[in-house]
Amino acid sequence: MSANRIEFRGLSRRFGRLAVLARVDGCVASGEVLPVRGRNGSGKSTLLRCLAGLLAPDAGEIVAAEEGRALEGEERRRRIGYVAPDLAFYEELTVGENLGFFSHLRGIPPAVATELLARVDLPAERRAGALSSGMRQRLRWAFALLHRPRLLLLDEPFQNLDGPGEQTARALLAEHLAGGGLAVVASPVLLSLPATLDAIDLDR
Amino acid sequence: MRSTWIAEAAAVFAKDWRCELRAKHAIATLGLFAVTSLIVASLALGPVGIDTAERVAFAPVLIWLILLFATAAGLPRAFVHEEETHTATALRLSASPSALFAGKAAYSFSVLAAVEAVVAPLAAALLQIDVARPGLLAGALALGGFGLAVASTLLAAIVAQGRGRTTLFAALAFPVLVPLLALAVALTRAALGAEVAAGILAQLVLYDATVTVAGLMLFPAVWNP
Repeated sequence: MSANRIEFRGLSRRFGRLAVLARVDGCVASGEVLPVRGRNGSGKSTLLRCLAGLLAPDAGEIVAAEEGRALEGEERRRRIGYVAPDLAFYEELTVGENLGFFSHLRGIPPAVATELLARVDLPAERRAGALSSGMRQRLRWAFALLHRPRLLLLDEPFQNLDGPGEQTARALLAEHLAGGGLAVVASPVLLSLPATLDAIDLDR
Repeated sequence: MRSTWIAEAAAVFAKDWRCELRAKHAIATLGLFAVTSLIVASLALGPVGIDTAERVAFAPVLIWLILLFATAAGLPRAFVHEEETHTATALRLSASPSALFAGKAAYSFSVLAAVEAVVAPLAAALLQIDVARPGLLAGALALGGFGLAVASTLLAAIVAQGRGRTTLFAALAFPVLVPLLALAVALTRAALGAEVAAGILAQLVLYDATVTVAGLMLFPAVWNP
């Protein structure tokens, strides 16, 4: 069995009377990308939020393992890397202070944050509130990779990125996969990605 | 490498102060409210309005009402702001719930202590009260403020998850905070010269211990999905 793995069976989630996810199954292992496709409102983000442990499914089972070790509850939430449009940062703080804060919480040396900021080409001293939407997306990537996760959940990962930004994000994803990591990628459009499995189509 | 619980709580505390010092949401609201209330009360009921015994009876009520309303006005933002600005997602992914609660409660307590440091001497000066037992007054403010901060942090976390946040805070705060305020008023009154009622200090310590343990145990259930 693969050291890194996310498997989910029969995932369902309702918001009031609206059934957003209905018995969704999927499995992804080391070095693979599982695409999740669907129109706006089809439940892509809800599925990723459930997998991240940010939302409890009404029914179904999620099994996640990192380096062969099962991740459950709070540990799954803290180990997973997550890029999504609903991920925001402290606007009063600079980019460096934001990443420094999350480094402190995770016990990561500040040098890792500095290195990641250089990699995504973000100025550490710029206030997060003054970032453009593309720069915010770069910061989300830096945040997601800060703790070197093996399981990466990417909700519209290239949204708002310019050409060089998308190139950097794709390079980071390729390195993550080459290192044995896995990714679940949600997008309304078909993305060209390496090692891609058959997509979960939530429009069906 | 993994951060320690204390380091996580300290990081949350430092982050909240850093954000507050840049934005000045709570400080401005709380400071303005506290000073205005005291000045209005002292103008209406100051030294010439009521005699010394009545002032000793009245001042603790005024002080704790100001601290209560300052808490209600400023501190729920601890979590409501995180939810409204969507920074709560990043926090949920990065922090252990109990350390987050401890950091937020410590921040709330430090803000409240700063308000107390202004309100208590100002109340004594404006109402011309000689503090009979300064040590006891400091103890009453510290213990009462601690209980108020911890309880309101937990309430703020509950309120941040729901709709009708202001009403919900008031409804939840009433049964939780009334016993604390009654004890804090009685101890403050004793510090200002009234007779010390037996057991109040112990009851206040017990309340603080209970609300702290309850907060640390309940918060993960409130915070986690």
